[in-house]
Amino acid sequence: MAIPAVPAAVTQTHWDRLAIRARWKRRAKSTGLYSFLIAVSIPIMLPYFWLVTIAFSAKRGVAETEVLWLSISILVPTLLAYWIWSIFARNIGQLLMGFLAVTAVGGAAFAVYVLPELHLRNFIFMVETNFPDVVRSRAGEVSGGISFPNVWQAFANSLYLAGAQTVIVATVASLAAYYLSRFQFPGRAAMLRSLLVLHAFPVLTLIVPLFLLLNFVGLLDQMLGVILVLVGFELPFAIFIMKGFFDAVPWDIEMSALTDGASRRQAFVKVVLPQVTNGIIAISVFSFIRGWEEYIFVFTFLIKNTNWTMSLYMFFVRDDLMGVDFGVVSAVGVFYLIPSLVLYVAAQKFLMQMSVGGVKG
Amino acid sequence: MARVEFRRIEKRFGDVVVIQDMDLVINDGEFVALLGPSGCGKSTSLFMLAGIYMPSAGELRFDDSVVNEVEARDRNVGIVFQSYALYPHMTVQNNIMFPLRFKGVPREQALPKVREAAELVHVGELLDRRPAQLSGGQQQRVALARALIKEPQLLLLDEPLSNLDATLRLTMRTEIKALQERLGVTTILVTHDQLEATTMADRVICMRAGRIEQVGSPDDLYSRPASLFVASFIGSPPINLLTGQAQNGAIRVKELSLPCSGGVSGEVTVGLRPEHMHFGDTGIPGRIAQLEPMGREILYVIDTPVGHVRILEGGSVAAHRIGEAVHLAFEPDATLVFEADTEALLPNARVLLPNGGAAAA
Ligand SMILES: Nc1ncnc2c1ncn2[C@@H]1O[C@H](COP(=O)(O)OP(=O)(O)O)[C@@H](O)[C@H]1O
Ligand SMILES: [Mg+2]
Repeated sequence: MAIPAVPAAVTQTHWDRLAIRARWKRRAKSTGLYSFLIAVSIPIMLPYFWLVTIAFSAKRGVAETEVLWLSISILVPTLLAYWIWSIFARNIGQLLMGFLAVTAVGGAAFAVYVLPELHLRNFIFMVETNFPDVVRSRAGEVSGGISFPNVWQAFANSLYLAGAQTVIVATVASLAAYYLSRFQFPGRAAMLRSLLVLHAFPVLTLIVPLFLLLNFVGLLDQMLGVILVLVGFELPFAIFIMKGFFDAVPWDIEMSALTDGASRRQAFVKVVLPQVTNGIIAISVFSFIRGWEEYIFVFTFLIKNTNWTMSLYMFFVRDDLMGVDFGVVSAVGVFYLIPSLVLYVAAQKFLMQMSVGGVKG
Repeated sequence: MARVEFRRIEKRFGDVVVIQDMDLVINDGEFVALLGPSGCGKSTSLFMLAGIYMPSAGELRFDDSVVNEVEARDRNVGIVFQSYALYPHMTVQNNIMFPLRFKGVPREQALPKVREAAELVHVGELLDRRPAQLSGGQQQRVALARALIKEPQLLLLDEPLSNLDATLRLTMRTEIKALQERLGVTTILVTHDQLEATTMADRVICMRAGRIEQVGSPDDLYSRPASLFVASFIGSPPINLLTGQAQNGAIRVKELSLPCSGGVSGEVTVGLRPEHMHFGDTGIPGRIAQLEPMGREILYVIDTPVGHVRILEGGSVAAHRIGEAVHLAFEPDATLVFEADTEALLPNARVLLPNGGAAAA
């Protein structure tokens, strides 16, 4: 068989050409992709960024944009520099050195141009209960009609509402899901199906009957009433998620615990529960954040201002001061936002695992 | 240590009868194997002993007491599950110590025991690891240590070797047997592997579809199988089975007539073990269709007028070639004859070589 001999040099350049072409193709592709992602995320990111900038920098109460543009004109080149450097750096040492340099330049620019503009005066509400009047008089307006509670009271109320709701949901969902996962009983399949159907109800549709119900049992304008309503809405989905986690726990480690001398309860607590901690963390975080941002029910079912939660507080601040001082409204927003942000960041690791570990019929 | 007795035990799951009419005595200190194909109810029997399942009918006795309703944790039974069922969130040390926690053994007394049990199964240096960081063989040793640390009156092993590779299986076979002899604990091994059962146990209980088919020493099951099922389940390569019509001192299988003793008549199945057959000058004529070297022996598949027949010959080099015409002879003493419809052994019946080629039994 005669295979025409190809000179080594020719094949060599051939392969090189192909490699170069592939490299450029890859780069073009990733550049296109990143550009698209950045373009899409700008309208999403910008409001958050603006909120924070206004809260820390607004001085005159109107919608100021100087600091926003200033900080963006520092932030965007810095991020771009990071990105470009990460493409061209040849090893981890170079990468770190480059990042350090970019951080130094960006940080310096920030310190020189933006830092002097920042202040905490918009956070007046944290120390002054009657701050709307102060803010209004600053703007030369008459005082409004709303009497505000101490912001820390609202903060504590929110914490209580979200926390109590979370504890109840996590406890009840774990127990119910365990039972659903492990035991056969009449109506089990129907119950599983109804869990999802229940979750499909738009919550607003039930607001009138719930109002009447709470009024009837005497829980209107009480935290406990709202907590129970929220628990009712949160439970089905939490149970469903937890059932997925329990289903993934092998049956035989539980049986092994029983033969090792544990009672059923001990086997549940010492052997089964530790396998589903990620699930419990996940539903706890979601329940907490759901409670923290709850607005419709607290607005409808809570009346006294000492019962206000952060969402109501935020609502009335906006009602009272929007157009008077954007800075203060934004500062309240930032204050309201921080706990859920911290929680998400802290629990991120566990939430990521949820999509891997849990959820299956 | 305990003597265990099944008296007319039955186990149903809903309407499905899984164990039927089980009568069995296992003596104190005995090592028995429950052998049968997958799904025949071996694990179910074991779980009834462990107290995980309650028998639906009959009496389960430990020594002289009925234990049907005694809870798993009060039985002091050590069990190694097929999946090992180690507690994933605990270190090896805590896994092994787990049973002692429920016996109220203080930690400082438990620790030396844990170390001792771990040494016994050669995992002494792994105490700080978690199950996920162990190989299959190591996990199994840990499971064994955990079962042994409570000094159980009964040790149950559910297919302990099925998840190990072939070499390790051989090692563990020897080790488990030696350990059992040393500790003298009554042990029940569940397996679907006939070789495992016959090499390890003093007595083998062969099960089929929820019933005990035969109980006996490994040799009993091999040489005097009570039924066609046992004969075909025990032995490797599997026994050759020829079904024919017995009449006037001969069994007619297709066009072949095999003389027989024992006064049989009607439809019968003849069992000829490959290792009891050899090439001869006369006998069943045939042609070699296939040969499989197996190391020290060679398995020939012979095409005969009665179908394919397997025979095992010693030697590592094949003395015959594919296509060669041969005659198959066998030892009449080692032949088995079963009644075709009941599948029961006809203990006095023997098959002789055709053409008077061998002396009668
Ligand atoms: N909890 C259960 N519910 C219903 N059927 C079961 C249950 N456990 C086992 N079975 C059935 O009982 C039969 C015997 O099972 P098992 O004892 O696990 O068999 P083996 O261990 O011999 O493979 C199987 O047919 C199985 O499907
Ligand atoms: Mg089994």
